[in-house]
Amino acid sequence: MTDFPQLIKVLVSSGVEFIIVGGAAAIVHGAARLTEDLDVVYRRNDQNTARLIVALESHSPYLRGAPPGLPFRWEPSTIRNGLNFTLITDIGAIDLLGEITGGGGYEDLLPDSISLKVFGFDCWCLDLEKLIFVKRAAGRPKDLEAVAELESILDER
Amino acid sequence: MREPLNGTLKPRYQDPIVELYKKDVDRTLIRHNLTLTVDQRFEQLMRLQELAIELRRAGKEARLGR
Repeated sequence: MTDFPQLIKVLVSSGVEFIIVGGAAAIVHGAARLTEDLDVVYRRNDQNTARLIVALESHSPYLRGAPPGLPFRWEPSTIRNGLNFTLITDIGAIDLLGEITGGGGYEDLLPDSISLKVFGFDCWCLDLEKLIFVKRAAGRPKDLEAVAELESILDER
Repeated sequence: MREPLNGTLKPRYQDPIVELYKKDVDRTLIRHNLTLTVDQRFEQLMRLQELAIELRRAGKEARLGR
């Protein structure tokens, strides 16, 4: 099970700059759909990369779904050489996204994000309108189903 | 759906597939969730995760005939 409060705590406590997106952002806005991981877009720079390493290094990050024993190293060069990482840790599943379809990276998304306090921690979350936009852009059947719920939330607010 | 106010709001694009999915959206759940705080929404999600894990375990056991 993903411990959302703990994952948010380790990111915020380490000063990681991130925006909650995906299913967890949908939960923030009132969605009822089950999501099993925390999706975040992280700022791509050396300082934030270093903070990400510190935040998760004691939680055994590993590629989710990959066979055990791969030479995966949680270090700055791994993040610099990649972009999006779907990870499992000992406190749950987290997707670290450098960019998302239809939305771009951290700097692109920040103007369309809201500041909120989750479990006592200040963080950013994609606003409902932008979340709908990027879900539409992703365009998978499950995204369109999510759009139906998110637009219903927009109507109910 | 919200209507444009004096032409200041653009009508939302209506994707026929999304509109079809909307028929199955349970708005009573949404209305309930909108009464909760963000923390309560995450707590509810984690309880749902626990339930899903338990149901998967039970289903697997049943398939194995235990």
